[in-house]
Amino acid sequence: MSGKRISATLVVNEDRAIACAACGHTLGPAGAPWKDHARLDEQPMQGAGGNPYTNAERVLLRRFFCPGCGALLDTESALADDPFLTDIVRV
Amino acid sequence: MDPITFSIIRHRLFRVIDEAVITLKHVSGSAITNEGHDLMVSLYRADGSLLMGGVGFLHHLTSAAEACKAVIRRFEGDIGEGDVFLTNCPYTAALHTSDIYLVAPIHHEGRLVAWSACFVHVYDIGAMVPGGFSPDSRDIFTEGFSSPGIKLVEGGEMRRDVMDTLLNMVRAPEMVALDLSSMIAANNVARERMGALIEKYGADAVDEACGALVDQSETLLRKRLRELPDGRWEARQYFDIEGETCRVLLAMTKEGDELTFDFTGSSPQSHYGINCTYWASWGGFFAPLFPLLCYDITWNDGVLRPIRMIAPEGSVVNCTRPAPVSLATVGTIQSVNNAACTCIAKMLSASEKYAEEATAVWHGSHFAIFMFGLNQRRQEAIGILTETFGGAGGARTWADGIDVGGEIPNPIGRMANVETTEATFPVRYLFRRARPDTGGPGRWRGGNALEFALVQHDSPEGGINYVVSGKGTEFSMSEGLGGGYAGAPCAYRWVHNNRASEAGRNVNPFPTSLDEMTGEAETISWGVFPLKGEDALYVRSDGGGGFGDPLEREPARVQADVEAGMVSAEVAAAVYGVVMANGTVDEGATAARRETLRAARLAAPVAAAAE
Repeated sequence: MSGKRISATLVVNEDRAIACAACGHTLGPAGAPWKDHARLDEQPMQGAGGNPYTNAERVLLRRFFCPGCGALLDTESALADDPFLTDIVRV
Repeated sequence: MDPITFSIIRHRLFRVIDEAVITLKHVSGSAITNEGHDLMVSLYRADGSLLMGGVGFLHHLTSAAEACKAVIRRFEGDIGEGDVFLTNCPYTAALHTSDIYLVAPIHHEGRLVAWSACFVHVYDIGAMVPGGFSPDSRDIFTEGFSSPGIKLVEGGEMRRDVMDTLLNMVRAPEMVALDLSSMIAANNVARERMGALIEKYGADAVDEACGALVDQSETLLRKRLRELPDGRWEARQYFDIEGETCRVLLAMTKEGDELTFDFTGSSPQSHYGINCTYWASWGGFFAPLFPLLCYDITWNDGVLRPIRMIAPEGSVVNCTRPAPVSLATVGTIQSVNNAACTCIAKMLSASEKYAEEATAVWHGSHFAIFMFGLNQRRQEAIGILTETFGGAGGARTWADGIDVGGEIPNPIGRMANVETTEATFPVRYLFRRARPDTGGPGRWRGGNALEFALVQHDSPEGGINYVVSGKGTEFSMSEGLGGGYAGAPCAYRWVHNNRASEAGRNVNPFPTSLDEMTGEAETISWGVFPLKGEDALYVRSDGGGGFGDPLEREPARVQADVEAGMVSAEVAAAVYGVVMANGTVDEGATAARRETLRAARLAAPVAAAAE
């Protein structure tokens, strides 16, 4: 997918929109937070990667997916009440 | 200055440090110095600013500069040839009291021209607990000897009154004396070699080259920053201590050729000694910045000039006296380091040119176990298990993280052989190996973590004691990157009466896993514990962060991991979507499994609605 790279998984396309680098699905305007536009799965971190994931039950694994192709765009470890981490790249 | 002379002087400065490090290691007798490389030697300019940073623990490069500057302020008019000054006060410059800085002026024809500085984690510092990591301390006053600056050597002569006073306040004074001697020797070598360099090229030429070297680093870093996109990146680290949850929040902003690290919103300072002082946080984010952004730039004051830090006073990243800090190096400093690694990696990921330099977090918890007690020779044995330097590598954008691969803040650290530890302490290893399924899943997998278990062996007192500073048991601290998962968290188990028989189960005196141990396994994470009788200590460190989408990992790589015992078949199917049959990838089942997992992703709610 053409565009200006802003992360390992996202680009800014010719229309100044943030887009999935894999399929081009857009996730809002360039320079703005994009995660609200993604699909989100929140599950306990406990067990998420196998038996050694003995995290406390309150710890969540957030996974942000592209709504177009299901690509995993980003992850976070988080407590439920903590906001999404926001990355803004100006290109 | 002609470029040839400049280049020769630059290389000579590197060699001065190399030779001083070799000297330090030759004189020192401790495993933490010789095996763990928990040390640093660097050169500083006459004003105390960093001239040439050496390898070793990188968060010390800038803190030792503050040590030099503090000595310059405190001893103005009383700094002579052959002097050596000591400071280990965390509220002056040091990271914690155990890491003593010895700084020495370098004179030429009576004029102060430079400083050398070094540190080691000394054998003991007289804190509540032997070895210096003092989990029961609630203030700096119970964390041992602390000096904002004292002259240890005057005109080349040891000040016996000072030395004896210090040694009178520590356990195993002969070992602490050896630590201090090793640092004095390193400074002596640095001074002599700098003297030879100046003799050959002249003081003015060397000073000119040093100034140019600092300017060059600033120019090169600013150029690199201009090549990277402007933006603002966030990272968050949690750690858990005795029911207390702390956060380190970092927002890193890059504008033009400048970087700002803003820790606003981080937790108030802790009751426990995981806090770090202002200069410790400052050094904490330079530890990943030097190797990730300045891998081809000399590490000196020029690198510092484009950088700014905001650290709220009274917070866990800028605590106020008398907050305890004895575990800062494996506490908040490590989280500052991790958060900075994540933000820098995200910035690099936003660049076509530099994306390959990005990495997920390595060794996020920096777990540490200190042991103390009488050894098999009835000698007082105090020291860290050097497994603390055997962290799991974070995945890169082009390769898996290295299993038990080390850490970023100390690129040349390593852990000792099992036999070295068994010769030092009255213990026997039951096993030590990489633990499967601990590396964060991803297109490139995080490095797997270490697990090991110890029992006492041949102890004249029936055992030994150990200190656990176990944050990172509730939270994964090695964050992933670009969709990679964080690594698995740490685990510590006190296995009571390992040889206890259980109904229907044979007692195995040589268990090779936690599951094979009999006796009750008690979860522990913080404090001082005994390793006595038939008890065992089990430790699992945290895995490295992964990079990229696990569903994008080549099935053949997953198969290789399963064959090598690094990933279980269950995780291969559940997380990577790779189905194994008869030891090989079932391509049809794998395609179907991955399609099912992608469909589930597309059925998830939109984040705005879920938030």
